[in-house]
Amino acid sequence: MVDENASFEDNLKELEEIVAKLEKGDVPLDNAIEEFKKAMDLVKACDEKLNNAQDTIAKIVEDNGEIVDFDVE
Amino acid sequence: MEETYITVSEVTDYIGSLIAGDLNLRHIFIKGEMSNVNLYRSGHLYFTLKDDESQIKGVMFGARYKLKDLKPKDGMKVLIEGKIDVYKKNGVYQLYADKISKDGVGDLHQRYLELKEKLNKEGLFDESHKKKIPNFPKRIGVVTAQNGAAIRDIITTIKRRWPLCEVVLFPSLVQGDKAGENIVYQIKRSEDFDLDTLIVGRGGGSIEDLWAFNEEIVARAIYDCNTPVISAVGHEIDFTIADFVADLRAATPTAAAEIAVPPYGEIKNGVSQLKLRANMAINKQFGDNKSKFDAIVSKKLFTNPSEIYAPKEMMLDNLVNRLEHSSQSLIMKSKSRLDLIKHSNIFKNPDEIIKDKQENYLLQISKLEILNPLNTLKRGYTLAKSEGKVISSSKDLKSGDELEIEFDDGNVNTKVI
Repeated sequence: MVDENASFEDNLKELEEIVAKLEKGDVPLDNAIEEFKKAMDLVKACDEKLNNAQDTIAKIVEDNGEIVDFDVE
Repeated sequence: MEETYITVSEVTDYIGSLIAGDLNLRHIFIKGEMSNVNLYRSGHLYFTLKDDESQIKGVMFGARYKLKDLKPKDGMKVLIEGKIDVYKKNGVYQLYADKISKDGVGDLHQRYLELKEKLNKEGLFDESHKKKIPNFPKRIGVVTAQNGAAIRDIITTIKRRWPLCEVVLFPSLVQGDKAGENIVYQIKRSEDFDLDTLIVGRGGGSIEDLWAFNEEIVARAIYDCNTPVISAVGHEIDFTIADFVADLRAATPTAAAEIAVPPYGEIKNGVSQLKLRANMAINKQFGDNKSKFDAIVSKKLFTNPSEIYAPKEMMLDNLVNRLEHSSQSLIMKSKSRLDLIKHSNIFKNPDEIIKDKQENYLLQISKLEILNPLNTLKRGYTLAKSEGKVISSSKDLKSGDELEIEFDDGNVNTKVI
């Protein structure tokens, strides 16, 4: 399972490592299947983050320390 | 003693000649603040140049032509190249200006160089102190003007490239006397907002406009900032002090945003590529294993198992056959023997056999009668025995041996003499 709290970067890094490992081809088949499943979970997690990306949120920290939405226009 | 008096003109000429003869005054570089600026229709410029303690009258002939774009006005700090001479008519020495330029730029540049040298010596620009800019920031802070183009450029760029990231603006003055202090304040403030990266900058401008980014307090605030800082002062050629001290320098606010976040499309593509590669790798491994599997499956055992077990089966059949056969023949044999026995005389005609046997027996008995030694004894023969054994030779006896003589009607014990 993919760690819910893992950052996009962590997931991407782990995915890259697993793919590299699989490509080396020296993982026994049973483990390879497990690793592959993990890779697919990570792909899913990454894709979810990418696809669910909302528009960039812009905020401004006012003089009084209040954070409010910042409209560029 | 009679004194010699000279005229005013003579003394003025004398002073004039002294001044004119002085190399330092003949070609002089002088700086000060302009006042009483007066540009005559003739094209001559009259002014007073002063500092806190003194002043000197000045004139520039043909100023309209010489000044080019510069428009001297009261309070302007200027650098003047020219000479000192005496204006005979008024009896005053004054500055005759050949070139006038605005002061400040040169002065600022000098201060810039000095500060750069100082901070460099202190190690504020050292690569070893540079922090790595995060690849996938979740929240980026920006210290810049709220109404400037810089913040718009940054937000637009981040939206386009990496919408997963939040932008937090810390509005600051970026120009004027208070800009430096304000920038420092906002940099320090940003530290409480859990930022991955901080962009500090503004759009392009003249050296005076950008001056805040050359101030020592700003440089130190950037150096001390725990968040990785990207400097983004809009200028292509020159570096500000902020650029040297920042963890990374971007030439413009847009460039800073591009450095700060990864390109969405490429990353998305990269994930797809990784997915594809994972699939290819696992398929290859399956393929390798499949060919091994195929090799095994294609062996006779799987393709034509009967070929392997048929001969065994035949052997088995054979054995069973033989077993059946042999047991049957055994039974048959036993049966035939039994039949034979059954059909033998003993079962068919036992009396005859008994009679045969009886006759034979009697015959044997009669034969035995003839051979019976007891019958011989009846005819007067005796049997000599010693210790129960029949003695058939005299050599077997010696003197003193006890001897048992058996007669037909009894035994007598004797002794050999």
